[in-house]
Amino acid sequence: MDKQTGFMKALKCRECGREYPLAATHVCEFDFGPLEVAYDYDRIKASMTRSAIQSRSKNMWRYRELLPVAGEPTVGCEVGFTPLIKADRLAKRLGIRELWIKNDAVNYPTLSFKDRVVSVALSRAKELGFTTVACASTGNLANSVAANAASAGLKAYVFIPSDLELGKVLNSLVYGANVVGIKGHYDEVNRLCAEIAGKYNWAFVNVNMRPYYAEGSKSMGFEIIEQLGWKIPQHTIVPMASGSLLTKIHKSYQEMTKLGLVSDAEYSVHGAQPAGCSPISVAQKAGLDFFKPVKPNTIAKSLAIGTPADGFYALKVMKETGGAADDVTDDEIRDGIKLLAECEGIFTETAGGVTVGVAKKLIASGKIPANDSAVLCITGNGLKTLDALVGHVGHTREIRPSLREFEALIEAETKSPTAA
Amino acid sequence: MATKTKPNGKSEKNQPQSTRLWLMFPPKLITRPIVWELGQKFPLVTNVRQASVTDEIGLVSLELSGSRGDIKAAIKWMEKLGIKVEPVEINVIES
Ligand SMILES: Cc1ncc(COP(=O)(O)O)c(C=O)c1O
Ligand SMILES: [Zn+2]
Repeated sequence: MDKQTGFMKALKCRECGREYPLAATHVCEFDFGPLEVAYDYDRIKASMTRSAIQSRSKNMWRYRELLPVAGEPTVGCEVGFTPLIKADRLAKRLGIRELWIKNDAVNYPTLSFKDRVVSVALSRAKELGFTTVACASTGNLANSVAANAASAGLKAYVFIPSDLELGKVLNSLVYGANVVGIKGHYDEVNRLCAEIAGKYNWAFVNVNMRPYYAEGSKSMGFEIIEQLGWKIPQHTIVPMASGSLLTKIHKSYQEMTKLGLVSDAEYSVHGAQPAGCSPISVAQKAGLDFFKPVKPNTIAKSLAIGTPADGFYALKVMKETGGAADDVTDDEIRDGIKLLAECEGIFTETAGGVTVGVAKKLIASGKIPANDSAVLCITGNGLKTLDALVGHVGHTREIRPSLREFEALIEAETKSPTAA
Repeated sequence: MATKTKPNGKSEKNQPQSTRLWLMFPPKLITRPIVWELGQKFPLVTNVRQASVTDEIGLVSLELSGSRGDIKAAIKWMEKLGIKVEPVEINVIES
């Protein structure tokens, strides 16, 4: 393995194919196309066998040849290998033969799939000599950067819109990150952060580190394959904000096939969005290659990106794999959260509610055939979006400390069981 | 670590810089020569890097070089016309 580059060959433009050195850059100088990491698959094939993988620790770094760091990872070494659960009760409710839940609601350390991308971005940032890392975020990404930077001894700047909920602010401040609230509307904040990223010599995880960062999402797909017994699922349903996770799940299936770690199989990757921010799913349903930007208005704030950077590529993946997309309303999102909790004992955030709700629609419409098998990507934890459920999950019934009152309550319940 | 930047924005106003932007044109503006107009109105160098135009939407990636103040004014002008202006690094804010 090369000390400087590991199994990586170069950064490569997704539009024109020009190659760039493995530095902290993310756009092609010629056409502004996004850069992506290119690997030396021949060398990877020699080193990455099923038995080699299985002999390694149970975290996302057991697939390290396909993750863009040169040496051993130094940040987020325990991230990943979250449970894949056979969800028989939910399968029955949704009307499908076989259903699995990939549960990143319990990803370590900050309870969302973002720990995967951040551990790669920060490990690579350290290799490139950065001592300060940064991001602009409204939630999960901020938490993950703040926490992983703290444990790695990196200085962190986290930019947030100034009107963010207190819970999310505290969730980043507690790790000692420098949290900067920016007054202004979304587009202005976006532009300022792009300027800051261009000006300061920091590792901005989703700007100049994006080619490395985005690759971290592949680990979710690698784990799904291994945990299914080295099989690619027939259907995978993925929530979409920028659309990056969906494209990387697809890439992970392709890479494992190319390396002979799994046999070639037909599969479809489906996308899920909230109706209040659905540029990608609306375009998919209309059969378009391009999306129209929208102004988000949804309780699924972690998916509220109106101009998705990877929307174009996500549409392409769905088209190529015969996947579909759909969107669900705020009420359907809450129903999805409750359904997953009641059937499987898993409490997901609003993004997970979107995934469950869309799965239900795609199965009902036959776009996912009832006789097939599917994996739902649950990407975040319900404890982070409690606000969305207040007033929607029933209420406690209070009694005085008297057995008589309790029995009256039970009796009322047996008479009308739905009241429970 | 902060690089050698001037602490106040004022003195930077006239320093030349380059900004990379994605422009999204609504249907009613697709046929208007916005980039030419921009070059006439502001002392900026425009450099189109990529473009795609359909009946529904026009997408143009544009590099603007000039003073920070002029770039800001040009962005304001385009936004007032109804063009969506994003940095090429779109989604700087993630969830
Ligand atoms: C919980 C959760 N799920 C899914 C996503 C979607 O990720 P992507 O931007 O890769 O489409 C996000 C991120 O923004 C998220 O926070
Ligand atoms: Zn290019």
